[in-house]
Amino acid sequence: MHLRRRFWLILIPAAALLALIWLRPRAAVTVGPQQTVTGINPRLGVHTRLTDEVEEWKVRRTLEMVREMGAFWIVEYFPWAYVEPERPGQGEWQHSDMVMRHARAQGLQVFARLGFTPQWARPKDTAPTYLDEAQYAAFGDYVFEFVQRYRGQLAGVVIWNEPNLSLEWGYRPVDAAAYTRLLRAAYIRAKEADPTLPVLGGALAPTLAPAGSAWGMDDLLYLQAMYDAGAAPWFDALAVHAYGGKFPPDEPAAADAINFTRTELLRAVMVRNGDAAKQVVITEGGWNDHPRWTRAVRPAQRIAYTTRAYQLALERWPWVDAVALWAFRYPAPARTYQDYFTFVTPDFQPKAIYLEVQRYAQGAAPAPAAEPSLP
Amino acid sequence: MKSLVISRRLLLAAALLLILLLSWLWRAYAPGHDRVWEDIRGSGQWRVAIDPSFPPFELLDAAGQPTGFDAELAQAIAARWGVTVTFEAMGFDGLVDAVYAGRVQGAISALPYQPERTQDVAFSVPYFEAGLVLVLPAQGGAVQSLDDLAGKRLAVEWGSEGDVQARSLRRRFTDLLLLPQETPQDALLAVAEGRADAALTDRVSALQVAAGDGRIRLAPQVVVSDPYVVVLPRRAAQLQREVNAALAALAADGTLAALTERWLGTGSEE
Repeated sequence: MHLRRRFWLILIPAAALLALIWLRPRAAVTVGPQQTVTGINPRLGVHTRLTDEVEEWKVRRTLEMVREMGAFWIVEYFPWAYVEPERPGQGEWQHSDMVMRHARAQGLQVFARLGFTPQWARPKDTAPTYLDEAQYAAFGDYVFEFVQRYRGQLAGVVIWNEPNLSLEWGYRPVDAAAYTRLLRAAYIRAKEADPTLPVLGGALAPTLAPAGSAWGMDDLLYLQAMYDAGAAPWFDALAVHAYGGKFPPDEPAAADAINFTRTELLRAVMVRNGDAAKQVVITEGGWNDHPRWTRAVRPAQRIAYTTRAYQLALERWPWVDAVALWAFRYPAPARTYQDYFTFVTPDFQPKAIYLEVQRYAQGAAPAPAAEPSLP
Repeated sequence: MKSLVISRRLLLAAALLLILLLSWLWRAYAPGHDRVWEDIRGSGQWRVAIDPSFPPFELLDAAGQPTGFDAELAQAIAARWGVTVTFEAMGFDGLVDAVYAGRVQGAISALPYQPERTQDVAFSVPYFEAGLVLVLPAQGGAVQSLDDLAGKRLAVEWGSEGDVQARSLRRRFTDLLLLPQETPQDALLAVAEGRADAALTDRVSALQVAAGDGRIRLAPQVVVSDPYVVVLPRRAAQLQREVNAALAALAADGTLAALTERWLGTGSEE
């Protein structure tokens, strides 16, 4: 009798627990049918910003809108510290799996940007952009795990971000030779996981900061310093950040100017160092239309410059594979000038620039600044 | 016996020192204690960050000194406290961080309220509404509010926040005709010249154009709010209270309205 009572005392809560598990709200978001991107410009792409997007339906809607705009490529950030927050090999892959699953379903090609050091891999009181050489192998392990996991699903991996800026190099003086050693470590491990996957180096910030500046280093000088340090064998393509500032996209390149065609000067450094056969991928870039930021243009100019930039890359730069401009959408308003780089608001309202790029991708002529299209 | 007396004296001295230390700590760090406010009162100066590149709110005068709506507002607040303002000019992106880092004791520079930064800095009550407004013909016109936009022509600055809002309005009014223009001034001119029934622009542009063009007026309701606020150090509760009290007093005595009229004009706002 006593045993039977104990049996029921255990069975009833256990059954209730099982029922709760069975009846729990199921994920309402499905991946949906396989889609394909259509558009006239196969270079067209955007840098998405899904890293901090929690809700799956928002990830799916973002990538749907990217595809519907006519973009073939995305660049997305997959922070090391998110996958291995507490220890090496931790493997918190749920979020990156979700992003990759939806990107694949929308028919988008993904360049994965890798970086962001977990706390366990850096000294206390350092920034996540700080990585000691002693931990290059640990970062290489993350690159290996990432590439192996998404083998066959990636267009390439971008190693680190803007290492020619002190703030992106752990607030230390920038060091092209050290970055080259990081690139080498990552390249070797990426190729071990997938020998066919392109590894992108560089992703340098466009800056005129002179050598010796505490803030950073001119990207043209830094790229040459990378070559001098023996970087050539350790990247298959160069990632370029092509911001236009206040200049139109056709403004000729000049070593003392930050504009969209500065990409040609970086390409010239590659050619000069025997890397003419390598491609370039623009992994960030574009224009900003904040009302008061000193490097911003008017919204109408931004629209005209952006569509022209996509067309320019298609017409003039056969050595560019993709132009992924910053940034498609933020999960929440930044409430700074950064909000004025986006194509879509956090609540998925398409901005005029989105609609004009979409029109362009469908075959309309790039919008001139003086003649906005009437809806 | 002697050593016992010495020990007792030492203990007494240590206890006195401890009391002094605790009272100093209490004075310095007690909840509600505001060292920033004490510094301002003690030095007779309020150090304020400003980015003088956004006229008419902030710009440099012929002598290279900050002037404009915000500069005069800071001076009016300081005058109520009997102190003077020392401006520190810096880039827009660094203003909030300068307050956070303690480099300045406030920032007044057409800054919006940023809920994401409330762990870092404090904000005053709003002192100016810069959001989107509907602009209408001064005389007559079929549109009085957003509810009247069905079948009407709405001018916006192409690609602006007004454009985004207007496009979402078309879900409600499918026959709303959008007239995108290159600048907010062009959108407002379209209303003045009768080419558009209304325009949706930021209130700053609307006030500036309406002040010089009697053919248009601003509808009273703000469509999307975007208020400007004073950014203050987070652990400066007394300073925050004093700024809010000063702003209320300046609104009550007409100073804020006078500043708006002086720098933006208000003749045609309903």
